[in-house]
Amino acid sequence: MATRQAQKERLREQRLAQEAEAQAKERRRRLVQYGSAAAFLAVCAVAVLVIISQSGGGSSGSGTEDAALVKQQLRGIPQHGTVLGDPNAKVTVIEYADLQCPVCQAFSTETAPDLISQVVRKNTATYDLRQYTIIGPDSAVAAKAALAAGEQGRYWNFVELFYRNQGTENSGYVTDDFLTSVAKGAGVPDLDKWNQDRQSPKWDAALSKVQSETQSLGINSTPTFVVQGPGGKKVVGSGILPLSQLQIAIKSVE
Amino acid sequence: MPRERVLRTVAAALSFAGIGVATYIAIADAGGGSPVCLAGGHGCATVAKSHYSHLAGINVAVFGILGYVLILAAALTPGDLGRFGGFLLAAIGFGFSVYLTYLELFVIDAICHWCVASAVLMALLLAVNATRAFTYAGAELASVGRNEAG
Repeated sequence: MATRQAQKERLREQRLAQEAEAQAKERRRRLVQYGSAAAFLAVCAVAVLVIISQSGGGSSGSGTEDAALVKQQLRGIPQHGTVLGDPNAKVTVIEYADLQCPVCQAFSTETAPDLISQVVRKNTATYDLRQYTIIGPDSAVAAKAALAAGEQGRYWNFVELFYRNQGTENSGYVTDDFLTSVAKGAGVPDLDKWNQDRQSPKWDAALSKVQSETQSLGINSTPTFVVQGPGGKKVVGSGILPLSQLQIAIKSVE
Repeated sequence: MPRERVLRTVAAALSFAGIGVATYIAIADAGGGSPVCLAGGHGCATVAKSHYSHLAGINVAVFGILGYVLILAAALTPGDLGRFGGFLLAAIGFGFSVYLTYLELFVIDAICHWCVASAVLMALLLAVNATRAFTYAGAELASVGRNEAG
């Protein structure tokens, strides 16, 4: 009797051990299968995300990179010609800039977004970017294209998008195709009208006027910033000025 | 080894923190501005205004919110589905965070504190979810276990 009991007990233990081993094997199988599938899928997903990110970044030339970013930055802010912001604002920040200028481009991407969001969007001042074309013949071509976009309320979208797709100075990248793609990305509604407007002779007079202004102010480089308000007009400085310096200057002419 | 319930609670808490960070970045961008760096400086603005801050026209932080919400859902889901789902999502989030951190250091040349915070949270989520998945895979099958599955 005792021997049969012991035998039953032994058989039960063997069965339990076999079941435990089978379960452990099944757990290991799940771990390997599900774990490796998850790791493989994660690698594929990250690769896809990196490819999408890289195809949206990279070198300039397409004219449409960052169109959504620029649109977001300027969303809801009125534009009148070259002036961005509420026309009732008492102070204007004037930037004399060349679209081919790399320092102007740096200011546009590093400081201008904060100037727009913290000053212009809050109606503290308007922002007037005047085309001071000094780098080369293509500067005037680009400037006229921007001013023509301004005829349809898209000057600032054109300028900001141009800067984000800027090429090397005087390298010949300012082609009709490039300008057209920038205009498309900037959302210029009537491209035929824009194309006609940019060839109008009236822009020569406008650009000459800016040249005269800079001469009278003693300005000879880009970007150079001037503030104008009820308290007067003053040249703030040149280069990638910090926002704080511009804010102090704005206060000084309020 | 921590109980699975503890790991799931930690994963949920980290996910909530991640949702908060990503939501702040997304709201700052939606307002036309940029997130403010905690210790001052312009790194946060520089990174936020770079074209790498958007993926297919959508702010990367929006994808971060989606990722953290899904990881939170995985933390609340019992069984192997929650374990390996959480591991998969955290691995994707961590891998992409590594890529974004590389861009900050070697391409954009600016550091955004909020992005670093999110990357740290993703790294911790990967560690927690990997521990949960590899320790408790198939735990429902076990008749004898060292730790109780929660």
